[in-house]
Amino acid sequence: MTQFHKKQFHKKALLALTLGLSLTAVSAPAAAQATTEVTFWTWYLSPKFDPYIKQTIAAFEKANPTIKVKWFDKQDSMVQDFIASVNLGNAPDVVNLNIDETGKAAQNGFLRNVDALTPLATLKSTFYPQTLANFTVGGKVYGYPWYGSLNEGVLLYNPDLMKKAGVSAPKNMTELLNMVKTVKDKTGAYAWVPALKDPGGASFLGYFSSDGLPIYDAKGNAAFNSAAHVAILQKYVDLFRGGYFPEDALRKEAFQLATELYAQNRVAMIVGGPQALNRIKDTNPGLYAKTVVTTAPLGKANTQTGTSMGMVIPQASKHPAEAAKLAAYFTSNANQIAFAKIVPIIPTTAAAQNDPFFKGASSDPIAKATALVGASGRFINPGFKAPGNSDDLYKNFSDNIEAALLGKKTPKAALDDSVKFWNANMKK
Amino acid sequence: MARSQPPGTQPPTASAPRSRYSLRDTLLSYAFLAPALILLTLFTFYPLAYGSYLGFTEYGGARFAQGLGPRWTGLENFRTLAADPLFLTALGNSVKYLVIVPVLQLASLSVAVLVNKNLPGMAFFRAAYYIPVVTSISLAAVMWDWVYNKEGTLNWALGVVRIIPEGSFFGWLNNEQTAFWAVMLVTFWRGFGYYMVLYLAGLQGIPAELEEAAVLDGASSWKRFWSITVPLMKPTILLCSLLSTIAALRVLEEVLVLTNGGPLNSTYTALMYVYSKAFQGFNFDYGLASAAGLVVAVVALLLSVANFRLFRESDGGES
Amino acid sequence: MSLVIRAPARTAAPRRRNVKLGRVILRYVFLIAVLIFAVFPFLWTLAIALTDKTAGGSIYNFPASLFPRAVTLHNFADVYRTFSLGKYIWNSVSITGMTIIGTLLISALAAYPLARFRFPGKGIIFAVIIATLVLPGETTFIVNTLTLKNMGLLGTHLGVVLPTVAAAFGIFLMRQAFLSIPQALLEASRLDGAGELTILTRIMLPLSVPSLAALGIFTLVGTWNAYFWPMLALSGAPDAVPLSVAVLKLKGQFNYDPFNIAAGSIIMMIPVLLVFLAAQRLFMRGMEGAVK
Repeated sequence: MTQFHKKQFHKKALLALTLGLSLTAVSAPAAAQATTEVTFWTWYLSPKFDPYIKQTIAAFEKANPTIKVKWFDKQDSMVQDFIASVNLGNAPDVVNLNIDETGKAAQNGFLRNVDALTPLATLKSTFYPQTLANFTVGGKVYGYPWYGSLNEGVLLYNPDLMKKAGVSAPKNMTELLNMVKTVKDKTGAYAWVPALKDPGGASFLGYFSSDGLPIYDAKGNAAFNSAAHVAILQKYVDLFRGGYFPEDALRKEAFQLATELYAQNRVAMIVGGPQALNRIKDTNPGLYAKTVVTTAPLGKANTQTGTSMGMVIPQASKHPAEAAKLAAYFTSNANQIAFAKIVPIIPTTAAAQNDPFFKGASSDPIAKATALVGASGRFINPGFKAPGNSDDLYKNFSDNIEAALLGKKTPKAALDDSVKFWNANMKK
Repeated sequence: MARSQPPGTQPPTASAPRSRYSLRDTLLSYAFLAPALILLTLFTFYPLAYGSYLGFTEYGGARFAQGLGPRWTGLENFRTLAADPLFLTALGNSVKYLVIVPVLQLASLSVAVLVNKNLPGMAFFRAAYYIPVVTSISLAAVMWDWVYNKEGTLNWALGVVRIIPEGSFFGWLNNEQTAFWAVMLVTFWRGFGYYMVLYLAGLQGIPAELEEAAVLDGASSWKRFWSITVPLMKPTILLCSLLSTIAALRVLEEVLVLTNGGPLNSTYTALMYVYSKAFQGFNFDYGLASAAGLVVAVVALLLSVANFRLFRESDGGES
Repeated sequence: MSLVIRAPARTAAPRRRNVKLGRVILRYVFLIAVLIFAVFPFLWTLAIALTDKTAGGSIYNFPASLFPRAVTLHNFADVYRTFSLGKYIWNSVSITGMTIIGTLLISALAAYPLARFRFPGKGIIFAVIIATLVLPGETTFIVNTLTLKNMGLLGTHLGVVLPTVAAAFGIFLMRQAFLSIPQALLEASRLDGAGELTILTRIMLPLSVPSLAALGIFTLVGTWNAYFWPMLALSGAPDAVPLSVAVLKLKGQFNYDPFNIAAGSIIMMIPVLLVFLAAQRLFMRGMEGAVK
C-alpha cells in the first residue's frame, strides 16, 4: 500500500511540474502548443465505472497537456461502430477489444502493430509473457493487454443449498460433475450452469483444453473428436438431457444466466470470474453476505484458463503516437491495480503479482475473491488459439454441440461432423 | 389481364377521358413529386443500386480495411449461397414464416370489425390492442422471454388447466418443435394491433347506409362480413397482406432478440443470414450478404406480384 | 310493403332482443380474451418491476410473482440513478417530431399527383416507389452514412431523419385516401378557380385526416422504436441518441437482474405510451370527423 501511495505522490509531483511547465508554455505566445485530440472507446464500462475512467483520463491529460482525450463507451455495437467509423474516416485512436476481436481485426488489417509504437522490450517487461502472447498475431503484437478474468476463477456457492444437498465444495471438475445430480434432486436448484453454447464463441472447447485434451493436432488440423473428447461431451449430454442443466444455457450466455439464477436461489454454485459478486451484491445483498468464496475446481490439466481485454490502435488512427501513450498509460501496472480496487479484475501486468493489495485477508466475499485471483494474471490464456475465420467455424461447432445436447446427433457424430467442417473450411 | 377496373373502388385515374397529357398537369405533378423523388433517389435508389452491385463482388473485411473497393466476381457469391446448407435452411424458414399472413390478416380484420361499433369501452379496447405495437422489440423480447421460460407463465397457465402436466414443462424457445411458432406468436402479438388500425381506417370508408340496409334485410353479421365488409375493404386488405407478406419474409428482429436463430437453426431466417454475414465483426462479407439480400428481394417481388394477381382475380370473379 | 315487413318483426322482438344481448356478451368475452393476450406481458412486467428483489424471490414463483407482496420503487430509482434518461427522451422527441412532419408533408405532396393527375411516367414512378417496399435495404446504410457525411449531416438528428421521410408506405397510404375522395368535389373547386395547392390543403387534406393521423401514428411508433439506423447514424454522437438506443445500454448493463430490466422497460415505455394515448385520442376524433 505504502509503495503505491509513494508512487502516486511522485506522480502528483510530476503532474504539478508538467502542469506548471505547460502553463508557462501557454503563456509564452511564441510556443503555442497545438493540442491533439485522441478518441478513446471502451467496451461496456459506462456508467458503472465512469469515475475510474474519468479520473484516469484526467490524470493522463494533466501528465500530457498537449493531448485531449475524448472518451466514448460502446456496448453491443462496438465492432459495427468500429467498422463504420473506419469507413467514415473518423476512426477512434484507442479501442478496447478482447482477444478474439483483436485477432480478427488484426488478420483483416484493421490494426497497427503496437510493438512499432512502444519498444518490444518495454512491453515484455510490463506484461506477463502469456498475456502479451494473447495479443500477438503473426509474430506482431497488436494490443496492450488490459484487465483480465479467469474462466474458472473462483468458486462461489450458496452454503444453504450445498448443506441441503449434503455436498461440500468440489475440488475439481470431476467432483463437480458428479454432484450435479445430487444437488438438483435434493434441492430443486441447479448445481451449476456450464458454458455450453454462446453466440460469438465456442466455449465448450474450453472444457476439452481444461482436461488437457488438444484442439488441434501437430499439423494444426482440428482434432477434437478422439474418444476422450467424445466422453466429455457425452457426460454433459447425459446431464443436460436428464434436466440437470437449465435449458436456457443453450440460448443465453452461461455467466449471465448463472448470475441471474444464483441471486434467486435457483443455482447453487458459480464457477468463474468474481465479477458475479458485484452483481449479486446489488441484487440480493442477503445472499451475498452468506456466499462462500473458495478456489475454483479445475480440470484434469489442473490449470486455469482466462481471457483479457486489450487496447488496440486502428490502422486508420491519425494520431498513433499519442494513442500509444494513452493505451500504455491505461494499461500500466499502477492504473490496472487501481482498477482492481474497484472491481475484482485481474491485472495483466507482471508487477501485479507482488502487489500487497492482493495479499490481504478478509471475510468479505469480493475482497476474498480479489485476493484469490488478483495476482494470477499469468494464467490469462484462452487455452487454444482461435482459427482465422472463427465466426463460421464456431457457429458450426456450436450447432453440432447443440444437436448433441438436443439428442439429434450422437456426441461422436457431432464432433466428427464439426472436425470435418473445420478442416474443410479453416483458414489458418 | 384484359380485365376491367374493379367496381366498387374508384378507378385510379379520372373517369372523364381527357386529352392525352396537359403540360400544366405534368409540370405540377413533378413539382409535387420532387421532394419525394429527390430523397428517394439519394437515400433509397442509389444505395439499392450500389447494394445490388455489391452482390456480384468480393467485398469483405480485409479489402475494406486496406481501403480497397469491391472486386467484381460475377456469380461467385450466388454459387456460395447455393452450396451453403445454412442459407437454404434460412430461406426455407422465411418462406415457412408466410403462414402467418392469412392468420394475422383475418384476425386483425375481425378484431377491427368487432371494435368498430358504438358500444361502451370500444375506444379502450382499440387503444389497448395497439399497445403491443408501440413496444420496442427489445422490450417485447424481455417480456416474452419470461412468458416462454420453462418456469414461465405460459407453462404455468397450461399446467393450471392441465393441458401440460407439471413434470413435462419445457422452454418454448428452447425446443426445436415450438421455437419457430413461439417466435411467430410474438410477431402476431406485435402485428395485429397495427393491421387492426389500418383496417379501422378502411372501415370508415364503408357507407353506413349499406350496413343498415343489410341489417334491415336480415343478413347475419357473418354474411354481412363476407358480402359487404370484405369486398369493400379489398384495397386495404391488399395493402395489409402485401405489407404483412414482405414483413414475414424479412423477419429478423424477433429472431435476433429471442432465439438468435436457434435451436438447431429452426428459427434461422434469410435476413438473419444477411445480417450475420454483413455484421459478423471484422470478418464481415458485404458481397455475400448483398447477394443473399438480392435473393430474398426476388422472392419478395414474386410474392407481391402473386398477391396483386390473387386479389384482382377474386375481385373480378365475384362481381 | 312496409307493413308486411314490420308486423313479424314486432312479434319476434323479445326473442331477438335476447339474441342481440347474447351477441353483445359474446363480443365482450372475445374482446376481453384478446385484451388479456395483448396486455398481459405488460402487467407482469409491471409486477416484476415493483417487486422487492432483496427478498430473494424468483420471478417465476406463481402466482406470487404476479401479485408482489413487498412493493418497492427501489428498482426504478436504481435504473434512473444509473442513467440520465431525460436527455434521451428529448432526443427521441426531436427525431420523432421531425420525422412525422417530414413524412406527412412529403407523402401528401407526392400522393396528390399520383392519385389525381395524368402525366407521363406516372405508372413507372408509382411502380418504382412501391417496389422499394420489397427491395433489399440491408446494405443501404453504408452508402447512406457516406452521403450524409458528405452533406455534413452525420451525427445530427436531421441526418437520422432525412433518409427515412420519403417512404413508399406513406405515399401509398395517402394515395389510397385521395383516391376515395369524389372527383366531383375537385371538379367543382377547379371551376371555382381554386389552385392545386389550395385544393390539396383545403379539400384533400381535411378529408384525409384519418389517413394522416394513421400515418402520423405509424411513423411515430416506427421512429420511436427504431434503433439500428439511429444507432449507426449517431455512433459518433452518443449524447444525441434516442431512448431506443439507450435501451440497449440498459440491457447490457442489467442482463443479470430481471427486476431492474423490468423497471427500466416500464420507464422506457411510459413516454411512448403517453405520446400514443394523447395522439390516439386525436386520431379517433379525426376519424369521427371523417365519418360525419
